[in-house]
Amino acid sequence: MIVGEQKSIEEIKKIVSPYKKVLILGCGTCVKTCFAGGEDEVAVLASALRLAFKKDGRQIEVEEFTVERQCEDEFVQESAEAIDRNESVLSLACGAGVQAIARRYEETPVLPGVNTTFLGVLEKHGLFTEECSGCGDCQLAVFGSVCPYTRCAKKLLNGPCGGSREGKCEVDPETDCAWNLIIHRLKMLGQLNNLRVYIPPKNWSGSGSCGPRKLIRKDHIL
Amino acid sequence: MEKQFKPKISVFHCINVFGDGEVLLPPERQDAAVEFIKLPCSSMIKDVFMLRAFEAGADAVMVMVCPEGACRYVEGNLRAKKRVGWVKNLLDEIGLDGRRLGLFNVPSEDAAVVGQIIEQTLSDLADLGPNPAA
Repeated sequence: MIVGEQKSIEEIKKIVSPYKKVLILGCGTCVKTCFAGGEDEVAVLASALRLAFKKDGRQIEVEEFTVERQCEDEFVQESAEAIDRNESVLSLACGAGVQAIARRYEETPVLPGVNTTFLGVLEKHGLFTEECSGCGDCQLAVFGSVCPYTRCAKKLLNGPCGGSREGKCEVDPETDCAWNLIIHRLKMLGQLNNLRVYIPPKNWSGSGSCGPRKLIRKDHIL
Repeated sequence: MEKQFKPKISVFHCINVFGDGEVLLPPERQDAAVEFIKLPCSSMIKDVFMLRAFEAGADAVMVMVCPEGACRYVEGNLRAKKRVGWVKNLLDEIGLDGRRLGLFNVPSEDAAVVGQIIEQTLSDLADLGPNPAA
């Protein structure tokens, strides 16, 4: 899922301060799971903003609404009436959601309330870890399903650096050494021979460094 | 003449701590308005409930939970503690002062302790003053 973190109240206050009527628009998918922008977070932020502005002697109308997914137009349309009633939208979705709302409602200022951070997994309740960089050239089959590009601080593709201690990364002792995990997993799978496979320099052409990427599924386009 | 400050306190409490909070307050206590909100377990407290109590004009919000290790649902009071800590930080960030919110572990049906905690909160409020966002 996409992992994000809500911006500080101070920053959000600054972003919404030119407006008197703000819709806080939540997204019920990824950012809900990471406690950044679901229905509960929308309610908390709305309440916090009302208190913060009232304390400063300013009145602001804050409306709350959450759609299932802000990155899909079918769901975005559900927010039309609420958006019409307000001067601006503070989106608690990832950056893709913010832009999808802005595309649909082009005359309404759409503001980000979340810092989109990474593609990750819920490791345990309240702990999210980055596990995919969306490089566009997945080699997980060779690495025992552990991505060294994302999880190795040095992004090494042909074996460990030799700096890890007791399975932890020398760059951050709190982080597991990705290569330690890869070797452990390959052992379990009986695929240690994969370590003999030379991994050539990564093909970065699908990585997005040459502009925004597009995925076209012609079988779904009329 | 300056209007006299009559503190307003919202008390969220687990029903296993005490059932009816009203009976715990001495009837002569007219200088404060204390509202009790029952929860089936303190884990039912949500961040937004605490914030909305402040929006409704509370000068302080108290969350009374069972002592650690004594929660009927094992970890309800621990979850409540985490949430209260989170909202305290939020109140500091807003500028409302996190000291207006507190979590208290209270032995079951101990009216004396509840009374003392409320007295202490009222005393703290004399320094903190009214909720600036009320």
